Amino acid sequence: MKMNIITLLTASIRNKPGRNLATIFCFAFIAANIFFLQLLFSGTVLNVDQGISRMGADHIIVGAQYTAHLRIGENPPENTMALVKVEPSSARIKADVMGVVGKIPGVSNVSPQLYVSTLDLPAVSPEPVDLFGIDPATDFTIQPWLQTPPDHPFGPGEVLVGSELSGKVGSQIDIQGHLYTIAGRLDPTKSSVDYTVFLNMDDAYAIASAKGIVPPSAPQISPGDVNAVLVRIAQGADSGMVKSRIQQPFSYSYVKVIQRHFSLDPASQEIKGLPGLLGVISTFVVVAAFPLIALIAAMVAHERQREIGLLRSMGAKRKAIFLLVMSESLVLATIGSIIGVCVSLVAFLLLNTMGLLQTTFQVSFRTPALYEIVATSCPALIVVIAIGSISSLWPAYWSSRMNPYDAIRGEGK
Amino acid sequence: MIEIIGVTKSFSTDCSEVRAVDDVHFTVNRGEFVLILGRSGSGKSTLLGMLSGLTRPTAGTILLNGMDISELSDDAISELRAKEIGFVFQLSGLILTINALENVMLPTLFCPDYPGSDSRAADLLTKVGMSERACAYPSTLSSGEMKRVAIARALVNAPSLLIADEPTGDLDEATEQEIMELFRQLNREGTTIMMVTHNSDLIRYATHTYRMTQGNLIKSDGALSPRLTLEPRTNVNDKVSS
Repeated sequence: MKMNIITLLTASIRNKPGRNLATIFCFAFIAANIFFLQLLFSGTVLNVDQGISRMGADHIIVGAQYTAHLRIGENPPENTMALVKVEPSSARIKADVMGVVGKIPGVSNVSPQLYVSTLDLPAVSPEPVDLFGIDPATDFTIQPWLQTPPDHPFGPGEVLVGSELSGKVGSQIDIQGHLYTIAGRLDPTKSSVDYTVFLNMDDAYAIASAKGIVPPSAPQISPGDVNAVLVRIAQGADSGMVKSRIQQPFSYSYVKVIQRHFSLDPASQEIKGLPGLLGVISTFVVVAAFPLIALIAAMVAHERQREIGLLRSMGAKRKAIFLLVMSESLVLATIGSIIGVCVSLVAFLLLNTMGLLQTTFQVSFRTPALYEIVATSCPALIVVIAIGSISSLWPAYWSSRMNPYDAIRGEGK
Repeated sequence: MIEIIGVTKSFSTDCSEVRAVDDVHFTVNRGEFVLILGRSGSGKSTLLGMLSGLTRPTAGTILLNGMDISELSDDAISELRAKEIGFVFQLSGLILTINALENVMLPTLFCPDYPGSDSRAADLLTKVGMSERACAYPSTLSSGEMKRVAIARALVNAPSLLIADEPTGDLDEATEQEIMELFRQLNREGTTIMMVTHNSDLIRYATHTYRMTQGNLIKSDGALSPRLTLEPRTNVNDKVSS
């Protein structure tokens, strides 16, 4: 059995529980403040990000004869604000439009949608159900509405269902004798999306060719047909300009471009000021707490001078004393920061669940996922550990340079 | 083993310079039990501090096993202390939050070439009569028991020199006698011991005795240490110890 530094460290920390608890509290206070502010910020950003991602496309390219057929009771302005899904229509265009549009400057994403049919599926919904084909690889308007992110890519034989359709995720849905597995359920949109089954494109073409799916009166669907190409423009691009560029290569008798008539800029402007505010508050907390922690560290070193002298008399080198004092501070800082982060997280979750945060800040917060919490906690941990290290530098240096003879004789003084 | 040549230690105060140790010369040979008597403030602890490299002399040379420790770097002196010197102080200096056995093992942390076996610390506690209290914390030990643990701790790295600074200053007469018997036993087993004390009753335990007054080392006949190596007085108490 040999003595090790951990035993000595533990002993030192246990030596003055009151003093060390006070130090840990200081570290926890800083960590809790920084982490809570980070959580508020990231919660807001996540909420806004989700909102933006669910706003759908900036433009929809449809056939020239396209006319939206809204369901009874739907509110037209709301449905045209967020271009998530094209409305059922028999006006189709060819998917190769995507290849042309995708190369247009200012276009960020393009994705096709195919309206297959509207069917009565009493086992699934009392209302008629729309069948749509989407391309899971390029889709950016439907999948952001998923209640929970899928554990695998939405593939062949699988469907996504709107919020008003019955059937659990993982169970099968029967579409007039064709069985599909429900891979995901969407959040309510208060639009026709809530009554829609989304298949991948190949399955959509396959079911479209089956008997009794597409009404005989409607034009038959051929592979390569799509009802719309949804377009997201690049950040900073001028929406009107991009719309003109999209229309330019095509005849007005072939396609038309529908533009969303609102901008996301006001929302993004609101959160632009948050990082600055966060920085100011965090800096204030650090500046206020740093001298206190440095003072405690200096007092601790002074109080321990006899003990340090004894260790020196046993042969401890200056470097060992320096590392011992630093390690002790780092251990306290780490414990404090972890406690601060945990307390802060519990407070955030409680206040958010009770709705107090939303009431206070007039902003809604989305609870971050575990990995986001871990990532968000890193700055708080790093800052607190850095404060612990910096505030202990001078006491550690002073302790290591102390004359051991004077330190030992300082006993009782 | 130890040769001190013209060692002086002076401290500056606001209006004057105080010589705590003034031009001291003497030699300690291996296996001796040297006692330095003196009143508080006579400079005896300062002398021990310089012998162990805890403080550096203002002037003079200190040779330990032929090595001039006043020329060594701080790290080298620390390493020398870890390997060659064991300390026992007036107050035991035990760390309160680790038990007796862990206190004894503490110096091994700073001795990379720890010479002992895994059980050496426990064996030393047995040697000082503390084996049954190995797991006891210092706050539960008496002054005498703490001193015994401190002695075991001083011996754990098998030092060639044991330095004791007023080791019985805080003990009652009976416990003082027990501790001094322990020192004598260690000395008989080959440990070189240098002890300072203000208690002249303890000279009977030593093989050689010096007296320190106002920074000067004085022979028992009262002569100041000259600028040459003092031959220590062979103590009549050798007879007592034998």
